[in-house]
Amino acid sequence: MSDLDYPAGLRYTAEHEWVRADGEVLRVGITSFAQEALGDVVYVSLPAVGDTVAAGDTCGEVESTKSVSDLYAPVSGEVTAVNGALDATPELVNSDPYGEGWMYEIRPADAGAADALLDVDAYTSQLS
Amino acid sequence: MPTMTDLLHSPIHDRHVALGAKMADFGGWSMPIEYPGGGVVAEHTAVRERVGIFDVSHLGKARVSGPGAADFVNRCLTNDLRRIGPGRAQYTMCCTETGGVVDDLIQYLRSDDDVFLIPNAANTARVVELLAAAAPEGLVVENLHDRYGVIAVQGPSSDAVLRRLGLPVDHDYMSFVETEWEGLPVIVCRTGYTGERGYEIVPPWEVAGSVWDELVAAVSGHGGLPCGLGARDTLRTEMGYPLHGNDLSLDITPVMAGAAWAVGWDKPAFWGKDALTAERAAKQSRLMRGLVASGRGIPRSHCEVKDAAGTVVGEVTSGTFSPTRKQGIALALLDRSVTLGDEVVVDVRGREVPATVSKPPFVEVGVRER
Repeated sequence: MSDLDYPAGLRYTAEHEWVRADGEVLRVGITSFAQEALGDVVYVSLPAVGDTVAAGDTCGEVESTKSVSDLYAPVSGEVTAVNGALDATPELVNSDPYGEGWMYEIRPADAGAADALLDVDAYTSQLS
Repeated sequence: MPTMTDLLHSPIHDRHVALGAKMADFGGWSMPIEYPGGGVVAEHTAVRERVGIFDVSHLGKARVSGPGAADFVNRCLTNDLRRIGPGRAQYTMCCTETGGVVDDLIQYLRSDDDVFLIPNAANTARVVELLAAAAPEGLVVENLHDRYGVIAVQGPSSDAVLRRLGLPVDHDYMSFVETEWEGLPVIVCRTGYTGERGYEIVPPWEVAGSVWDELVAAVSGHGGLPCGLGARDTLRTEMGYPLHGNDLSLDITPVMAGAAWAVGWDKPAFWGKDALTAERAAKQSRLMRGLVASGRGIPRSHCEVKDAAGTVVGEVTSGTFSPTRKQGIALALLDRSVTLGDEVVVDVRGREVPATVSKPPFVEVGVRER
């Protein structure tokens, strides 16, 4: 695991998703650990813009050659954007999980919702 | 579920660990799924376009020897050994009297008195047990699981790689040559599970590591990769080759699986002959078909298949993403009312994925090319 990275400025969930605050919205993706465990990602199914989700809801799927994982909404709110590039190039999730491989953006119902998620130390300590 | 420490290790295990391979349990053996720097798709593509090497030492090895060994095996297993001569290998199945498949395996005919078998990892002990119990006086049935490794070299550049090692190449599809490696006997068989031209090398356990090391060096000169069992599964699924436990089982007979070609129907006897003959004549059982997903989504084993009216007409037995076609493909057992070209729907975790019924293989390949 030593070559996988977990940026310090992000928030994380126990389901191996990351959340980055970007103005009023939160950008969501899956962590290095998650993409490494899945292997080559071949399909990403995302929520629709405008969907309202509750924290913990299943709101999409990430599928690799060998397995499939659900995406869970990290906080409650409304989906404001999705990464359409993943339709044609799902491998971005493997090559750049915190950048070009982002999944969707959500406007949280509670502006401080992300603060309750794990910080990098809390997340990485549960990986071992 | 055994823990990783309970799992058996291939003779090449330390090489996989050194390469940083992701390991998983395959039939009680800890084997590589994929390697860093590769991944299933890159490894798959290497085999289709260039060459890949697979450690498949978890596969069983067994031997039946003694006067009339081939005749004895021919009375037990499904395929007809009389169709081939010494130096040839053949796909066959070990069935129960009710026609279920205990295992599918490759039988190497060395002589009338010597047959070498390659069963699946998890079924080797059972196949050996059944043969040993049935064997007449004078025949020896040996489980040689940990006496040999098995390394598959697969892909259009396979011949060049084997030549670099000084191993024999260019023998016919499904034939084998016995040679030597570091003074020990090695079998090189023109077989594989990928659909590409290639070989399976069976070296004694103690030299499997050195064969592997030289193959790793040789394939790198041809744009090749060490490949894990993840790619082996996508490659075999693209060919429509059955995997025991998914597409063949005690409940899925050779008739259902479309493996009737590997049954010697005219033989006086083989295990399961009466039940399979009756099943074949009745034309009632479901049949194995291919499915190509026309939408996004990957059919997976045990997904239900429905017709246009929503009636369940079958079940997926193996499904994956085809790296060659970049779409979902599957093998499914379907009612006989469903025919090639029909549009069906696969229930993938509650989502309906449309698919077309088709005849595997799903890709064009060169396994038999001269």
